[in-house]
Amino acid sequence: MSNNDISDERLNAFIDDELDALEKSEVFEALEAERELSQQVCELRQLSELVRHAYDTPPAIEQYRPQHTKRINPWGAAAAASLLLGIGATLGWVGHQPPEPVDVPRLNAMYWDKEHAFQNSDLAAIAQNPDSRKIIVHLNTSSGPKFEQALATAEQLLETYADSDKGAEIEVVANASAVKMLRAGFTPYSQRVSDLQERYINLTFLACKDAMDHIRELENDQGEVQLLPGVDVTPSALEHILNRLSDGWMYINV
Amino acid sequence: MTVIKTFCKNQQFKRTLAEYRENLYRIAYSWCHNPALADDLVQETLAKALKNSSQLRDLATMKAWLYRILSNCWRDHFRRSRETVDIDDIVLVDGDTPDLRNDRQQIIHRVRNAIARLPNGQRQVITLVDLEGCSYIEVAQILDVPIGTVMSRLSRARKALKELLLQAELPRDRKVHQLRSV
Repeated sequence: MSNNDISDERLNAFIDDELDALEKSEVFEALEAERELSQQVCELRQLSELVRHAYDTPPAIEQYRPQHTKRINPWGAAAAASLLLGIGATLGWVGHQPPEPVDVPRLNAMYWDKEHAFQNSDLAAIAQNPDSRKIIVHLNTSSGPKFEQALATAEQLLETYADSDKGAEIEVVANASAVKMLRAGFTPYSQRVSDLQERYINLTFLACKDAMDHIRELENDQGEVQLLPGVDVTPSALEHILNRLSDGWMYINV
Repeated sequence: MTVIKTFCKNQQFKRTLAEYRENLYRIAYSWCHNPALADDLVQETLAKALKNSSQLRDLATMKAWLYRILSNCWRDHFRRSRETVDIDDIVLVDGDTPDLRNDRQQIIHRVRNAIARLPNGQRQVITLVDLEGCSYIEVAQILDVPIGTVMSRLSRARKALKELLLQAELPRDRKVHQLRSV
Protein backbone atom coordinates (compact mmCIF):
# COMPACT_ATOMS: atom_id res chain seq x y z
CA MET A 1 0.00 0.00 0.00
CA SER A 2 2.88 2.37 0.63
CA ASN A 3 4.05 5.05 -1.74
CA ASN A 4 6.97 7.46 -1.47
CA ASP A 5 8.27 7.15 2.06
CA ILE A 6 4.82 6.95 3.56
CA SER A 7 4.29 3.56 5.15
CA ASP A 8 0.88 2.00 5.70
CA GLU A 9 1.25 2.56 9.44
CA ARG A 10 2.00 6.23 8.92
CA LEU A 11 -0.93 6.69 6.59
CA ASN A 12 -3.20 5.13 9.21
CA ALA A 13 -1.71 7.38 11.87
CA PHE A 14 -2.45 10.31 9.58
CA ILE A 15 -6.16 9.56 9.33
CA ASP A 16 -6.31 8.85 13.07
CA ASP A 17 -4.73 12.23 13.83
CA GLU A 18 -1.75 10.63 15.53
CA LEU A 19 0.98 12.57 13.71
CA ASP A 20 2.66 15.76 14.84
CA ALA A 21 2.62 18.91 12.68
CA LEU A 22 5.86 18.14 10.83
CA GLU A 23 4.85 14.57 10.03
CA LYS A 24 1.46 15.77 8.84
CA SER A 25 3.09 18.25 6.49
CA GLU A 26 5.16 15.47 4.97
CA VAL A 27 2.07 13.39 4.36
CA PHE A 28 0.19 16.35 2.86
CA GLU A 29 3.10 16.93 0.46
CA ALA A 30 3.07 13.28 -0.54
CA LEU A 31 -0.70 13.42 -1.04
CA GLU A 32 -0.36 16.31 -3.41
CA ALA A 33 2.32 14.51 -5.37
CA GLU A 34 0.50 11.19 -5.66
CA ARG A 35 -3.11 10.78 -6.51
CA GLU A 36 -3.03 7.10 -5.62
CA LEU A 37 -2.01 7.96 -2.10
CA SER A 38 -4.99 10.31 -1.78
CA GLN A 39 -7.19 7.46 -2.90
CA GLN A 40 -5.73 5.27 -0.17
CA VAL A 41 -6.44 7.92 2.45
CA CYS A 42 -10.04 8.14 1.23
CA GLU A 43 -10.41 4.37 1.47
CA LEU A 44 -8.99 4.28 4.98
CA ARG A 45 -11.40 7.00 6.09
CA GLN A 46 -14.22 5.16 4.43
CA LEU A 47 -13.32 1.96 6.29
CA SER A 48 -13.15 3.79 9.55
CA GLU A 49 -16.61 5.23 8.89
CA LEU A 50 -17.95 1.80 8.00
CA VAL A 51 -16.71 0.31 11.26
CA ARG A 52 -18.36 3.09 13.26
CA HIS A 53 -21.55 2.68 11.29
CA ALA A 54 -21.65 -1.08 11.86
CA TYR A 55 -21.71 -0.70 15.63
CA ASP A 56 -23.74 2.48 15.98
CA THR A 57 -26.60 0.43 17.31
CA PRO A 58 -25.51 -2.87 18.82
CA PRO A 59 -28.29 -5.31 19.75
CA ALA A 60 -30.19 -4.10 22.82
CA ILE A 61 -29.37 -6.49 25.59
CA GLU A 62 -32.85 -6.46 27.10
CA GLN A 63 -34.15 -7.98 23.87
CA TYR A 64 -31.94 -10.96 24.49
CA ARG A 65 -32.94 -11.53 28.07
CA PRO A 66 -36.74 -11.66 28.03
CA GLN A 67 -38.12 -11.66 31.55
CA HIS A 68 -41.87 -11.99 30.99
CA THR A 69 -42.37 -13.54 27.59
CA LYS A 70 -45.69 -15.34 27.69
CA ARG A 71 -45.89 -16.17 24.05
CA ILE A 72 -43.49 -16.21 21.14
CA ASN A 73 -43.71 -13.18 18.94
CA PRO A 74 -41.37 -12.42 16.01
CA TRP A 75 -39.24 -9.91 17.90
CA GLY A 76 -39.08 -12.05 20.98
CA ALA A 77 -38.17 -15.00 18.83
CA ALA A 78 -35.44 -13.02 17.11
CA ALA A 79 -34.08 -11.86 20.42
CA ALA A 80 -34.11 -15.26 22.01
CA ALA A 81 -32.76 -16.79 18.84
CA SER A 82 -29.72 -14.58 18.98
CA LEU A 83 -29.31 -15.45 22.61
CA LEU A 84 -29.42 -19.11 21.68
CA LEU A 85 -26.61 -18.58 19.21
CA GLY A 86 -24.47 -17.30 22.00
CA ILE A 87 -25.38 -19.80 24.61
CA GLY A 88 -22.48 -22.06 23.73
CA ALA A 89 -20.03 -19.41 24.74
CA THR A 90 -22.09 -18.44 27.76
CA LEU A 91 -22.16 -22.01 28.96
CA GLY A 92 -18.40 -21.96 29.11
CA TRP A 93 -18.66 -18.79 31.15
CA VAL A 94 -20.90 -20.20 33.80
CA GLY A 95 -20.01 -23.79 33.53
CA HIS A 96 -17.16 -24.26 35.95
CA GLN A 97 -18.68 -26.82 38.18
CA PRO A 98 -17.41 -29.72 40.21
CA PRO A 99 -16.82 -32.98 38.33
CA GLU A 100 -20.04 -34.71 37.32
CA PRO A 101 -20.86 -38.40 37.65
CA VAL A 102 -18.94 -40.44 35.13
CA ASP A 103 -22.03 -41.58 33.26
CA VAL A 104 -23.11 -38.06 32.38
CA PRO A 105 -21.45 -36.02 29.63
CA ARG A 106 -19.69 -32.82 30.66
CA LEU A 107 -22.15 -30.35 29.23
CA ASN A 108 -24.57 -27.90 30.70
CA ALA A 109 -28.19 -27.60 29.77
CA MET A 110 -30.65 -24.75 29.82
CA TYR A 111 -34.40 -24.46 30.04
CA TRP A 112 -37.08 -21.83 30.21
CA ASP A 113 -38.69 -21.19 33.54
CA LYS A 114 -42.35 -20.24 33.85
CA GLU A 115 -41.61 -16.71 32.75
CA HIS A 116 -39.56 -17.87 29.76
CA ALA A 117 -36.29 -16.73 31.28
CA PHE A 118 -33.33 -19.02 30.71
CA GLN A 119 -32.11 -21.06 33.64
CA ASN A 120 -28.98 -23.17 33.83
CA SER A 121 -29.01 -26.79 34.72
CA ASP A 122 -26.67 -29.69 34.18
CA LEU A 123 -27.05 -33.13 32.76
CA ALA A 124 -26.74 -34.73 36.16
CA ALA A 125 -29.89 -32.85 37.19
CA ILE A 126 -31.66 -34.01 34.05
CA ALA A 127 -30.85 -37.58 34.92
CA GLN A 128 -32.60 -37.12 38.28
CA ASN A 129 -35.72 -35.57 36.80
CA PRO A 130 -38.07 -37.81 34.81
CA ASP A 131 -39.91 -34.76 33.46
CA SER A 132 -36.84 -33.38 31.73
CA ARG A 133 -36.09 -36.18 29.36
CA LYS A 134 -36.99 -34.28 26.25
CA ILE A 135 -33.76 -32.75 25.15
CA ILE A 136 -32.75 -30.71 22.15
CA VAL A 137 -29.08 -30.74 21.15
CA HIS A 138 -28.22 -27.73 19.02
CA LEU A 139 -25.27 -27.29 16.69
CA ASN A 140 -24.47 -24.15 14.74
CA THR A 141 -20.94 -24.74 13.50
CA SER A 142 -19.52 -27.29 11.09
CA SER A 143 -16.93 -28.49 13.55
CA GLY A 144 -16.27 -32.23 13.35
CA PRO A 145 -15.27 -32.59 17.02
CA LYS A 146 -18.39 -30.69 18.08
CA PHE A 147 -20.61 -32.88 15.95
CA GLU A 148 -18.97 -35.95 17.45
CA GLN A 149 -19.59 -34.50 20.89
CA ALA A 150 -23.24 -33.88 20.03
CA LEU A 151 -23.67 -37.46 18.86
CA ALA A 152 -21.86 -38.84 21.89
CA THR A 153 -24.00 -36.71 24.20
CA ALA A 154 -27.21 -37.86 22.55
CA GLU A 155 -26.10 -41.47 22.65
CA GLN A 156 -25.06 -41.28 26.27
CA LEU A 157 -28.36 -39.72 27.33
CA LEU A 158 -30.34 -42.32 25.42
CA GLU A 159 -28.30 -45.09 27.04
CA THR A 160 -28.73 -43.53 30.48
CA TYR A 161 -32.50 -43.64 30.16
CA ALA A 162 -32.70 -46.88 28.22
CA ASP A 163 -33.64 -48.96 31.25
CA SER A 164 -36.24 -46.58 32.64
CA ASP A 165 -39.98 -46.85 31.94
CA LYS A 166 -39.93 -43.74 29.88
CA GLY A 167 -36.86 -43.27 27.71
CA ALA A 168 -35.42 -39.96 26.63
CA GLU A 169 -36.53 -38.17 23.49
CA ILE A 170 -33.72 -36.34 21.78
CA GLU A 171 -33.53 -34.08 18.78
CA VAL A 172 -30.21 -33.06 17.24
CA VAL A 173 -30.87 -29.78 15.44
CA ALA A 174 -28.38 -28.26 13.03
CA ASN A 175 -28.49 -24.75 11.63
CA ALA A 176 -26.02 -22.29 10.06
CA SER A 177 -22.92 -24.14 8.86
CA ALA A 178 -23.69 -27.19 11.03
CA VAL A 179 -26.14 -28.33 8.34
CA LYS A 180 -23.07 -29.55 6.43
CA MET A 181 -22.67 -32.25 9.08
CA LEU A 182 -25.98 -33.76 7.96
CA ARG A 183 -25.44 -33.22 4.25
CA ALA A 184 -25.28 -36.29 2.01
CA GLY A 185 -22.02 -36.60 0.15
CA PHE A 186 -20.28 -34.05 2.39
CA THR A 187 -20.38 -35.25 5.96
CA PRO A 188 -17.90 -37.86 7.11
CA TYR A 189 -20.45 -38.99 9.72
CA SER A 190 -23.07 -40.63 7.50
CA GLN A 191 -22.45 -44.13 8.87
CA ARG A 192 -22.39 -42.93 12.47
CA VAL A 193 -25.68 -41.09 12.02
CA SER A 194 -27.22 -44.09 10.29
CA ASP A 195 -26.11 -46.42 13.13
CA LEU A 196 -27.63 -44.15 15.75
CA GLN A 197 -30.89 -43.79 13.81
CA GLU A 198 -31.14 -47.56 13.63
CA ARG A 199 -30.43 -48.10 17.30
CA TYR A 200 -32.58 -45.36 18.84
CA ILE A 201 -36.14 -44.74 17.72
CA ASN A 202 -36.37 -41.66 19.99
CA LEU A 203 -33.48 -39.89 18.29
CA THR A 204 -34.31 -37.41 15.53
CA PHE A 205 -32.00 -35.37 13.34
CA LEU A 206 -33.25 -32.04 12.02
CA ALA A 207 -31.70 -29.60 9.56
CA CYS A 208 -32.70 -25.96 9.22
CA LYS A 209 -34.34 -25.08 5.89
CA ASP A 210 -33.17 -21.47 6.16
CA ALA A 211 -29.57 -22.64 6.42
CA MET A 212 -30.05 -25.08 3.52
CA ASP A 213 -31.41 -22.26 1.37
CA HIS A 214 -28.45 -20.11 2.36
CA ILE A 215 -26.02 -22.84 1.32
CA ARG A 216 -27.87 -23.20 -1.98
CA GLU A 217 -27.55 -19.45 -2.57
CA LEU A 218 -23.84 -19.55 -1.80
CA GLU A 219 -23.48 -22.33 -4.35
CA ASN A 220 -25.18 -20.24 -7.03
CA ASP A 221 -28.39 -22.20 -6.90
CA GLN A 222 -26.95 -25.46 -8.15
CA GLY A 223 -29.80 -27.52 -6.74
CA GLU A 224 -31.32 -28.52 -3.41
CA VAL A 225 -29.05 -29.52 -0.55
CA GLN A 226 -29.39 -33.27 -0.12
CA LEU A 227 -29.49 -34.56 3.43
CA LEU A 228 -28.62 -37.95 4.86
CA PRO A 229 -31.48 -40.49 4.83
CA GLY A 230 -33.92 -40.07 7.70
CA VAL A 231 -32.87 -36.49 8.48
CA ASP A 232 -35.92 -34.23 8.82
CA VAL A 233 -36.17 -30.60 7.82
CA THR A 234 -37.54 -27.80 9.98
CA PRO A 235 -38.40 -24.46 8.36
CA SER A 236 -36.41 -22.58 10.98
CA ALA A 237 -34.19 -24.27 13.54
CA LEU A 238 -34.36 -21.29 15.84
CA GLU A 239 -38.14 -21.21 15.85
CA HIS A 240 -38.19 -24.94 16.36
CA ILE A 241 -35.91 -24.64 19.37
CA LEU A 242 -38.00 -21.84 20.81
CA ASN A 243 -41.14 -23.93 20.41
CA ARG A 244 -39.48 -26.87 22.12
CA LEU A 245 -38.29 -24.66 24.97
CA SER A 246 -41.81 -23.40 25.29
CA ASP A 247 -42.99 -26.99 25.57
CA GLY A 248 -40.59 -27.62 28.43
CA TRP A 249 -37.70 -29.24 26.59
CA MET A 250 -34.15 -28.94 27.86
CA TYR A 251 -31.64 -27.25 25.57
CA ILE A 252 -27.98 -28.09 25.08
CA ASN A 253 -25.69 -26.15 22.79
CA VAL A 254 -22.63 -28.08 21.72
CA MET B 1 -13.84 16.97 55.22
CA THR B 2 -11.87 13.93 54.07
CA VAL B 3 -14.97 11.76 54.51
CA ILE B 4 -17.07 14.15 52.42
CA LYS B 5 -14.39 14.30 49.75
CA THR B 6 -14.18 10.52 49.62
CA PHE B 7 -17.98 10.27 49.46
CA CYS B 8 -18.16 12.76 46.57
CA LYS B 9 -15.36 10.99 44.78
CA ASN B 10 -17.16 7.68 45.13
CA GLN B 11 -20.41 9.15 43.86
CA GLN B 12 -18.63 10.63 40.87
CA PHE B 13 -16.87 7.34 40.24
CA LYS B 14 -20.16 5.45 40.19
CA ARG B 15 -21.80 8.03 37.97
CA THR B 16 -18.94 7.93 35.48
CA LEU B 17 -18.93 4.16 35.63
CA ALA B 18 -22.62 4.06 34.72
CA GLU B 19 -21.99 6.45 31.83
CA TYR B 20 -19.42 4.09 30.36
CA ARG B 21 -21.72 1.09 30.44
CA GLU B 22 -23.09 1.63 26.94
CA ASN B 23 -19.63 2.13 25.43
CA LEU B 24 -18.32 -0.94 27.19
CA TYR B 25 -21.21 -3.01 25.88
CA ARG B 26 -20.66 -1.78 22.34
CA ILE B 27 -16.96 -2.57 22.37
CA ALA B 28 -17.54 -5.94 24.06
CA TYR B 29 -20.14 -6.78 21.44
CA SER B 30 -17.73 -5.81 18.65
CA TRP B 31 -15.20 -8.24 20.11
CA CYS B 32 -17.43 -11.24 20.69
CA HIS B 33 -20.52 -10.55 18.52
CA ASN B 34 -22.68 -12.21 21.12
CA PRO B 35 -25.10 -9.92 23.01
CA ALA B 36 -25.47 -12.12 26.07
CA LEU B 37 -21.74 -12.71 26.41
CA ALA B 38 -21.04 -9.02 25.82
CA ASP B 39 -23.42 -8.16 28.63
CA ASP B 40 -21.77 -10.71 30.92
CA LEU B 41 -18.36 -9.23 30.15
CA VAL B 42 -19.59 -5.72 30.89
CA GLN B 43 -21.15 -6.78 34.17
CA GLU B 44 -17.94 -8.50 35.20
CA THR B 45 -15.97 -5.43 34.19
CA LEU B 46 -18.21 -3.12 36.22
CA ALA B 47 -18.06 -5.43 39.23
CA LYS B 48 -14.26 -5.52 39.07
CA ALA B 49 -14.10 -1.76 38.58
CA LEU B 50 -16.23 -1.20 41.67
CA LYS B 51 -14.21 -3.66 43.70
CA ASN B 52 -10.90 -2.12 42.65
CA SER B 53 -11.98 1.50 42.51
CA SER B 54 -9.21 2.48 44.92
CA GLN B 55 -6.64 1.55 42.26
CA LEU B 56 -7.86 4.36 40.01
CA ARG B 57 -6.01 7.49 41.06
CA ASP B 58 -7.31 9.85 38.41
CA LEU B 59 -10.83 9.78 36.96
CA ALA B 60 -9.42 11.20 33.73
CA THR B 61 -7.77 7.85 33.04
CA MET B 62 -10.93 5.89 33.75
CA LYS B 63 -11.69 5.15 30.11
CA ALA B 64 -8.42 3.30 29.44
CA TRP B 65 -8.62 1.65 32.86
CA LEU B 66 -12.11 0.28 32.19
CA TYR B 67 -11.27 -0.97 28.71
CA ARG B 68 -8.22 -2.68 30.11
CA ILE B 69 -10.37 -4.50 32.67
CA LEU B 70 -12.79 -5.45 29.90
CA SER B 71 -9.96 -6.73 27.72
CA ASN B 72 -8.69 -8.85 30.62
CA CYS B 73 -12.19 -10.22 31.24
CA TRP B 74 -12.51 -11.11 27.55
CA ARG B 75 -9.16 -12.91 27.59
CA ASP B 76 -9.93 -14.64 30.91
CA HIS B 77 -13.19 -15.85 29.48
CA PHE B 78 -11.32 -17.86 26.87
CA ARG B 79 -8.67 -18.99 29.30
CA ARG B 80 -11.39 -20.45 31.50
CA SER B 81 -13.57 -21.99 28.84
CA ARG B 82 -11.28 -22.87 25.97
CA GLU B 83 -7.86 -23.39 27.39
CA THR B 84 -6.56 -25.23 24.34
CA VAL B 85 -7.73 -22.70 21.77
CA ASP B 86 -5.74 -19.61 20.90
CA ILE B 87 -8.05 -16.62 21.06
CA ASP B 88 -6.68 -15.44 17.70
CA ASP B 89 -7.62 -18.72 16.05
CA ILE B 90 -11.29 -18.55 16.93
CA VAL B 91 -13.60 -17.93 14.02
CA LEU B 92 -16.76 -16.40 15.35
CA VAL B 93 -20.04 -18.01 14.43
CA ASP B 94 -21.85 -16.43 11.54
CA GLY B 95 -25.32 -17.48 12.58
CA ASP B 96 -28.60 -16.52 11.02
CA THR B 97 -30.29 -13.86 13.07
CA PRO B 98 -33.62 -12.64 11.78
CA ASP B 99 -32.95 -9.09 12.90
CA LEU B 100 -30.04 -8.79 10.48
CA ARG B 101 -31.96 -9.70 7.39
CA ASN B 102 -33.53 -6.52 6.21
CA ASP B 103 -31.93 -4.39 3.56
CA ARG B 104 -30.86 -1.57 5.82
CA GLN B 105 -28.84 -3.90 7.94
CA GLN B 106 -27.18 -5.88 5.21
CA ILE B 107 -24.20 -3.59 5.09
CA ILE B 108 -23.95 -3.62 8.89
CA HIS B 109 -24.07 -7.40 8.83
CA ARG B 110 -21.32 -7.52 6.22
CA VAL B 111 -19.03 -5.17 8.11
CA ARG B 112 -19.61 -7.01 11.38
CA ASN B 113 -18.82 -10.30 9.68
CA ALA B 114 -15.64 -8.82 8.25
CA ILE B 115 -14.63 -7.56 11.71
CA ALA B 116 -15.46 -10.96 13.19
CA ARG B 117 -13.06 -12.59 10.75
CA LEU B 118 -10.11 -10.52 11.92
CA PRO B 119 -7.72 -12.06 14.44
CA ASN B 120 -8.69 -11.00 17.94
CA GLY B 121 -5.70 -8.68 18.39
CA GLN B 122 -6.49 -6.76 15.22
CA ARG B 123 -10.21 -6.70 16.02
CA GLN B 124 -9.55 -5.18 19.43
CA VAL B 125 -7.25 -2.50 18.07
CA ILE B 126 -9.48 -1.38 15.21
CA THR B 127 -12.61 -1.24 17.35
CA LEU B 128 -10.89 0.68 20.14
CA VAL B 129 -9.58 3.21 17.64
CA ASP B 130 -12.61 3.54 15.39
CA LEU B 131 -15.49 2.99 17.80
CA GLU B 132 -14.17 4.50 20.97
CA GLY B 133 -11.77 7.01 19.51
CA CYS B 134 -8.90 5.77 21.64
CA SER B 135 -5.45 7.15 20.87
CA TYR B 136 -2.71 4.71 19.94
CA ILE B 137 -1.10 5.23 23.34
CA GLU B 138 -4.36 4.45 25.10
CA VAL B 139 -4.80 1.28 23.05
CA ALA B 140 -1.24 0.23 23.87
CA GLN B 141 -2.00 0.69 27.58
CA ILE B 142 -5.35 -1.09 27.37
CA LEU B 143 -3.99 -4.13 25.56
CA ASP B 144 -0.58 -3.99 27.23
CA VAL B 145 1.32 -4.08 23.94
CA PRO B 146 3.94 -1.73 22.44
CA ILE B 147 2.61 1.16 20.37
CA GLY B 148 4.39 -0.28 17.31
CA THR B 149 2.25 -3.39 17.67
CA VAL B 150 -0.88 -1.25 17.83
CA MET B 151 0.12 0.48 14.60
CA SER B 152 0.98 -2.70 12.73
CA ARG B 153 -2.20 -4.48 13.91
CA LEU B 154 -4.31 -1.53 12.88
CA SER B 155 -2.64 -1.37 9.49
CA ARG B 156 -3.15 -5.10 8.91
CA ALA B 157 -6.76 -4.92 10.12
CA ARG B 158 -7.67 -2.12 7.73
CA LYS B 159 -5.87 -3.82 4.88
CA ALA B 160 -7.89 -6.98 5.51
CA LEU B 161 -11.14 -5.01 5.78
CA LYS B 162 -10.34 -3.23 2.55
CA GLU B 163 -10.02 -6.54 0.78
CA LEU B 164 -13.17 -7.89 2.37
CA LEU B 165 -15.37 -4.84 1.97
CA LEU B 166 -14.13 -2.35 -0.59
CA GLN B 167 -12.74 -4.71 -3.19
CA ALA B 168 -15.50 -7.29 -2.87
CA GLU B 169 -19.16 -7.00 -3.62
CA LEU B 170 -19.97 -3.46 -2.56
CA PRO B 171 -19.55 -0.87 -5.30
CA ARG B 172 -17.78 2.05 -3.66
CA ASP B 173 -20.16 4.81 -4.72
CA ARG B 174 -23.25 2.85 -3.73
CA LYS B 175 -21.84 2.10 -0.32
CA VAL B 176 -21.06 5.71 0.47
CA HIS B 177 -24.55 6.66 -0.64
CA GLN B 178 -26.08 3.99 1.62
CA LEU B 179 -24.04 5.15 4.54
CA ARG B 180 -25.19 8.71 4.18
CA SER B 181 -28.80 7.74 3.75
CA VAL B 182 -29.00 5.96 7.11
